[in-house]
Amino acid sequence: MEILIFMLIGVLIGRFCFPKKLKKLNEKMQVVMTMLLIFAMGVMLGRRENLINELSSLGFKSLVFCLIPTILSTIIVYFLTERFFDRDKKEDK
Amino acid sequence: MVILAVIALILGTLYGFSGYEFTVLDYLASHTDYILYLTMVLVGISVGLHESIVEQMKKYHLKLLLIPTGIIIGSIIGGVICSFVLNEPMRESLAISGGLGWYSLTGVAIGNLSGAEYGSIAFLSNLMREIISFFVIPIIAIKLNYYTCIAPAGATSEDTTLPMMIRYTDEKTVVFSVLNGVICSACVPVIMSVCYTLF
Repeated sequence: MEILIFMLIGVLIGRFCFPKKLKKLNEKMQVVMTMLLIFAMGVMLGRRENLINELSSLGFKSLVFCLIPTILSTIIVYFLTERFFDRDKKEDK
Repeated sequence: MVILAVIALILGTLYGFSGYEFTVLDYLASHTDYILYLTMVLVGISVGLHESIVEQMKKYHLKLLLIPTGIIIGSIIGGVICSFVLNEPMRESLAISGGLGWYSLTGVAIGNLSGAEYGSIAFLSNLMREIISFFVIPIIAIKLNYYTCIAPAGATSEDTTLPMMIRYTDEKTVVFSVLNGVICSACVPVIMSVCYTLF
């Protein structure tokens, strides 16, 4: 819930008082923040005891538990969005 | 971006694994909430700068629920298939696949309810879902459509995978992504309790 509140604060700043010339800087800062988040995830992984053991013994099973649900979710959402949403999304950013 | 993400992940893992402790890095790694909040403000600014987005969102209303519904149904069916393919109990299979990428919660919760092995599978499989999402989002954005980028990300589409949405989709999809993440995250504990009640 906090996430929505912070996003809303950002939306208000962007709508009413953020200088448009700083748009690029804002985007660059988002990349920096993302890298910090991913780095922190890596630190958490590296500090997890038995990570290597877990991966070697349960890695394959975990991969199957990851791939099948992920692929099915993707297929279903693809058909739903193609059927019910506007087709205005493949343009390059 | 993907290469940067891989480098950040590898550096973080190596740092965590090495056992070295630098105050600044440790502070950053243990205060990800603040980094995420700041990211959300920056994302909000991008959305706010995009003037027609509110009008665009008004067109969608209940359609907004289609994406999380599709994600949850796909994951649950996936869990059923995994149960048969891997010969694992239906309860644990559904609970693991119903984690929707939220590895920290599912790893601990399933570990407590079904033992360390299932806890580890839940942790690893949901973590893999998040990591794989990083790499497939750019491909899905080109080959399928922007909205489908949200599907692999599942419950993580409001935080860790969100910046990939920002980079590879558009502002409207980013808003969908955040709302989807909130809805999916709210559903994960519900899916888990339903699994442990029914099976």
